[in-house]
Amino acid sequence: MKIDPKTFTKDYLLHLCIQCGTCTGGCPVKYRSPLNMRRLVRETYFTDPFPSLSKRAEIWACTTCSTCSLRCPSGVKNVELLMAIRNYLANKGEVPSTIRDALENTLMQGNPWGRFRDRRADWAKALGVKIFGEATSETLFYVGCAPSYDPRVQRVATALVKIFQNAGVDFAILGKKESCCGNEIRRMGEQALFKKLAKDNTILFKKLGIKKIITTSPHCYNAFQNEYPDLNLPVQHYTQVLVHLIETGHLHFSKELGTSVTYHDPCFLGKQNKVFEEPRKILASIPQCEFMEMERSRERSLCCEGGGGRMWAEGGTEGKRNAEIRIREAVSLGAKTLATACPFCLLTFEDSVKTSGLADQIAVKDIAELVDETTK
Amino acid sequence: MNIIVCVKRIPKTAEADIFIEKDNKDIKKDNLVFALNDWDGYAVREAVLLKEKFEGEVIVLTVGPDESKEVLTRCLAMGADRAIRIEEPIPNDGRLIAETLAKVIQTGPFDLILTGVQAEDDGWGQVGVALAQILGIPHASIVTHIHIEGGKAKVRRELEGGLEELLEIKLPAVLTIQTGINEPKYVSLAAILEAEDKETKEMTLEEIGFSPREPLDATIDQVSFPPTGKRAEILKGTPDEVVGQLTEIIKRKKGS
Amino acid sequence: MSDIFILVEHRQGKIRDITYEIFGLAESLANQQGTSFTAVLLGHDVKSFADDLSRRAPKVLVIEDENLEHFNSVLYQKTLSSLISKYQPSLLLMGHSAFGMDLAPSLSVEKDFPLVTDCIGLTFEEGKLKATRSIYGGKVNASVSLRESKGYIATLRPGIFPPKMHGEIKGRIVMEASPLEGGVDVKKFIEYIEAPITGEDITQAEILVSIGQGIGGPEHIPMFEELAIRLGGTISCSRPVVDRNWLPKERQVGISGKTVKPKIYLAIGISGAFQHVTAMQGSDTIIAINKDPRAPIFSVADYGIVDDFQNVIPILKEKISDMK
Repeated sequence: MKIDPKTFTKDYLLHLCIQCGTCTGGCPVKYRSPLNMRRLVRETYFTDPFPSLSKRAEIWACTTCSTCSLRCPSGVKNVELLMAIRNYLANKGEVPSTIRDALENTLMQGNPWGRFRDRRADWAKALGVKIFGEATSETLFYVGCAPSYDPRVQRVATALVKIFQNAGVDFAILGKKESCCGNEIRRMGEQALFKKLAKDNTILFKKLGIKKIITTSPHCYNAFQNEYPDLNLPVQHYTQVLVHLIETGHLHFSKELGTSVTYHDPCFLGKQNKVFEEPRKILASIPQCEFMEMERSRERSLCCEGGGGRMWAEGGTEGKRNAEIRIREAVSLGAKTLATACPFCLLTFEDSVKTSGLADQIAVKDIAELVDETTK
Repeated sequence: MNIIVCVKRIPKTAEADIFIEKDNKDIKKDNLVFALNDWDGYAVREAVLLKEKFEGEVIVLTVGPDESKEVLTRCLAMGADRAIRIEEPIPNDGRLIAETLAKVIQTGPFDLILTGVQAEDDGWGQVGVALAQILGIPHASIVTHIHIEGGKAKVRRELEGGLEELLEIKLPAVLTIQTGINEPKYVSLAAILEAEDKETKEMTLEEIGFSPREPLDATIDQVSFPPTGKRAEILKGTPDEVVGQLTEIIKRKKGS
Repeated sequence: MSDIFILVEHRQGKIRDITYEIFGLAESLANQQGTSFTAVLLGHDVKSFADDLSRRAPKVLVIEDENLEHFNSVLYQKTLSSLISKYQPSLLLMGHSAFGMDLAPSLSVEKDFPLVTDCIGLTFEEGKLKATRSIYGGKVNASVSLRESKGYIATLRPGIFPPKMHGEIKGRIVMEASPLEGGVDVKKFIEYIEAPITGEDITQAEILVSIGQGIGGPEHIPMFEELAIRLGGTISCSRPVVDRNWLPKERQVGISGKTVKPKIYLAIGISGAFQHVTAMQGSDTIIAINKDPRAPIFSVADYGIVDDFQNVIPILKEKISDMK
């Protein structure tokens, strides 16, 4: 279980690196931090890198968007290497203070913000949602930490509940028994805590007889789909569910949207899990929704910098944020709404819209909200 | 340099909804999470930093029930060498805690004792300084900096108004540690799991040869919610509207 | 019943406010018990203090000794111990301050007087001392009974009891001989250390934009600094922000930091622990922005906004620049 830097070359295939620089070329934080993936791979391969790497703030700048790994022509596991370095540092206690808080909070309260566990389902109080324990269902709507606690993202969770109810989907939520999925925890370097969360969650899901999971967040989707070793349950991101509901006629649009929309592919939904079509299909079915595609889309979507623990990291980057660059791209395209399908993208964009003073030119919405607005 | 750190397991209440037990003697704790008292965490970290400088051993000590073991394990993961737990419900009486701790501490040699300034839960701020008196050694409370040199410690104490005082204190001594004295390290779950193998000695009051005298100095008759005083006028509306009102208020009050 | 003793707290040539706060409580307790109260003044060259105190207390006990010039718990304890033996007070009161916290617990053990600390209420019932304390971070109050004893010690939370600022009585000043035979070498005062002020002095600001741990991380600080500048004020903070090195100590508002009384105090992401509130409640107008509607800061604020600061501050920043 203990991590050994000596095996990094073998574990992450560092010897395959041809130093082409494709990883660094595609890195979304290359202009915002000294993080240089090509060099990091080389240094780790050639030298005993520790502790020389441990003090570098750029280790925490990576968003784990995985553009580098996906583009690497040799199959080097760059992001896994970076997470292993973080794991090595975390086990030595050398993590930035805000990351430390997020990890400790998750161990204590089951969410990185340290909000009170008992209040996890407060957002759903007036919605008449079934909660496992009091009721039962084969389908778990796994809400996630940000949608449970952040007032902005609570609106997305609420929209989804209304849509599901509208379409006659039988589902239940875990309420205060829901704990963090661990996706970001693993990416912040806490492998042991991730394993514990995965194990505890898997046992809980099985005990409750859950047959199928729907997630709000692509990050939770990624964890359940790809990283929970013993889960073996079908997992869907909500966009996949909505497409099905629309195509099977369970969900009817009753209003026109009447605006132009562009879509930002979240890294953990798009490039990492290849869910590109479903969000676009949903937008295409909304009446009077003028869809516009940004130049950088699908695999080329520019990371918003909300992943990989960046929601809790401080510093390590400078200059204009990607989220702001992205918003300006959407504005110059002429779109009145920037839609996405991820709580972290939503939060980073909302933040940037306000700080860049573009709030009167463009609105940031989750696809779930657009569907809720037009199906009521 | 052998350092003893006295620690406490406390319930975290800052974010929690609080309910009062039927007998009105305490708050309900079954919905709360527990942790190492924040001040004690700084004390353990300080002890480990001193050990790195001067070598020796860091022993963590607590009075508490079985569940208190988890905070000792955390301290061991932070770098303490061994732990001692006195099996006893945590008393509400600081004097009794200090006497119990003293009974254990007196059995071995030590150079320095650290405690937190106070506990997050009841905030008595009594144990460390009382302990020093029982042991007959000097103390300094609310310590923000320690410099050890030849059997003495130069310590900074936090006073009010941003002022500090520099003291010289002869060792062995008890220092009660203020938050912010050092940069806490992250304690990974892997480190905690590993620390479960370190030695934790468990003893009863009988085994340490201590019987608390009756009655206790202090007992809690009842707890109650504080009377609600005045409440702020909450500005309502969309963020734009709220800020509009706020700007008006600022304009008005700024001029006055 | 015998007298109630008040330990006078002074530092750098000034009596500290907590002393006057204790006077008010001591007087009412003494009236309740049909007894009197005595101010105990230990120090060096403190005659002028004694005159001032004698206008508020019926009796002032003074011990002059050059070794008592600066507070030292060991020397104070020795001195108080001998005074307690001589006068047998029923209760000794002092502040729950750096002064009282360093002294009360050890004196309590030495004299075997039950101690209650950080009291927000204090009364005698059938000869036994009862206290009210605020616990669990201010979420509940506890009523505490102390065992029967011939003497008690209590430390009082600063900023709770109304100070007795004016006195017209003519109390007696009684000089006592010092029981000390020189200083001690187990604990020596060396010097005071002032937190260096490198930026603006927050006690002089008319408007303070004050931030707490609730802002999440230091990356937002430039935004608040800019807001402060646009408002014509400066930035301050609560203790956790200093503990985490997001801002220097000189910016801290609180008992262990600075006490401030600006025209406008804008508290953002500050929950409102008493250590903080005590030091800012004298502000003319207090505005709090906090996500948590139950945060205690809303009990001291005049105006409140229950929202994430990120929804409010960027808009406010824009509106303020329009204002100028």
